[in-house]
Amino acid sequence: MIKAHQINYLHKDFHILDGVDVSLNYGEFLAIVGPNGAGKSSLLSILANEVKYGKQNILFKDKSIYEWEVRELSVHKAKFSQHNSNEIPLQVKDVVMMGRYPYFDSQPRKEDFEAMNKLMYETDVYHLKERDYNTLSGGEKQRVHLSRVMAQLENEIEQKLVFLDEPLNNLDVKHQYKALEIIKKFTNNANSAIVVLHDLNLAAQFADKILLMKGGKVSAYGTPGEVFTSENISHAYNFPCTICPHPVNATPMIIFG
Amino acid sequence: MLVILAIVALYVGVYDFNGVSPFTVLIQFIQGDPNLQLSDKYVIWDVRASRIVMAILVGSMLAVSGTSLQGLFKNPLATGDLIGLTSGATLLAAISIVLGGYFKEYLPEMVQFSLTGIAAFIGALLAMMLVYRISTSGGKTNVVMMLLSGVAITAIGFSITGFLIYISKDEQLRDLTFWNMGSLAAATWTKNIVLAVVVIISYTVLLPKGKALNAMMLGEKDAQHLGINVEKLKKQIVIITALMVGTCVAFSGTIGFVGLIVPYILRLLFKSNYTFILPLSAVCGSILLLVADTFSRSIVQPSELPIGILTALMGGPIFIAILIKFKKSL
Repeated sequence: MIKAHQINYLHKDFHILDGVDVSLNYGEFLAIVGPNGAGKSSLLSILANEVKYGKQNILFKDKSIYEWEVRELSVHKAKFSQHNSNEIPLQVKDVVMMGRYPYFDSQPRKEDFEAMNKLMYETDVYHLKERDYNTLSGGEKQRVHLSRVMAQLENEIEQKLVFLDEPLNNLDVKHQYKALEIIKKFTNNANSAIVVLHDLNLAAQFADKILLMKGGKVSAYGTPGEVFTSENISHAYNFPCTICPHPVNATPMIIFG
Repeated sequence: MLVILAIVALYVGVYDFNGVSPFTVLIQFIQGDPNLQLSDKYVIWDVRASRIVMAILVGSMLAVSGTSLQGLFKNPLATGDLIGLTSGATLLAAISIVLGGYFKEYLPEMVQFSLTGIAAFIGALLAMMLVYRISTSGGKTNVVMMLLSGVAITAIGFSITGFLIYISKDEQLRDLTFWNMGSLAAATWTKNIVLAVVVIISYTVLLPKGKALNAMMLGEKDAQHLGINVEKLKKQIVIITALMVGTCVAFSGTIGFVGLIVPYILRLLFKSNYTFILPLSAVCGSILLLVADTFSRSIVQPSELPIGILTALMGGPIFIAILIKFKKSL
């Protein structure tokens, strides 16, 4: 799906990213975890072709990401940003409809309304659709953007990729699970997802692969079971922790302190 | 509605057509009626009809330029006159009027003929690029910087225009005063044809951009993820708005606030959904300027009130209303 080799990103002599390799297969859910300032968001931005920093070696669907046309790319991949605009003087449904902009010219078609409504149901914002976006709470806004981003990839194309930068910020427990289930369902259809997460236990439960970062470098990569060892984690976060199997689904459970 | 207003505007005026309604005179003219008096012909076609068409075209362009600038800067206060585009255009137009005589003969004939227009376009474009450079970094516009750089450009323009007025000859002086006041009285069909061409070019590029401007509200990066070529969009808006403002200034002087009033009213009805307000501002701008112009030439008959006074009278309070509404976020 996406292969990136030796990604470097410098800002004023400071290595934000230093020789990072990423490779993702079709249908995989990759979680990027790590302490603050590890370069998680920067990595995601570069993979999503957001920052143009030199020539990075990134292949998206076996074709260099720079050779893709902007419009074409927008139906194959989408990105959920960490800092979403707080002020959009539109109604919720108009914001979600923006996700369908790559598909229609002047008037939304029937499919566009269907995709919009479907994703608004799934993210539980359908009852807000006539509300002004500006009057929503932080978590509600977050869900509106999630449904916008997922509506963007509601099409016939196979093997799509979604980037999500901390999608769970401001969400309550129920909606955190709902959001991850939407992403998981998406990856079940041979689509892939790269998600920056802070909650290691949620990452362990939902992700297929974990990329643990520290100081702009990959400090561990593999399945949750391989990456989440107390050694790896306490080294990366500089904080003691204990690992035990999750009582319900047997994934690793991380307890800090 | 626009058509009805245009017909009403046709009726308003000092000239008396011997009891015949102006509309019938116009129809007679179009049909080429030989009984029509020469003066009737002149007033209906070259004075009134051309002026009405000009009001429609100029009003429409000013409003659309305002709306697209607001989309680009993501702020309802961005309009050609507030951020200095109009001053930039006026300044270069004034320079070309006063100093144009000295270098006119070295230029090709085409350029000579439309020197003021081209100068106004360049002035607007330079002002636009300057303001954008100063106020925007990393895709975020600093509203205060945007308005203040507009103030600075206006101040520079004002002082140089003042100096030009001081050194200019009588005939040039009349031209310059016309720029500063803004008026549609100088309408001719040649000008209208040029305006119409500019309108067609600009609108084919700009009017389908409603979606793109909506997406810009998410931020430039997210707009890019929605398949919008942000860099190209910005360049198009910068050049086309400069073209529209420049042309309007060249033909009708500085008519302020149209680009502020029209989008403000439309926003009250349609929020900031540019897919609606961009095309509607084209129509509503025409209506506004046509009404204002009809008033300006009928309130103090047989004389005329400068149209800028009327638009400023409407625009000032709206400017203040926007400021109050955005008190916290500015």
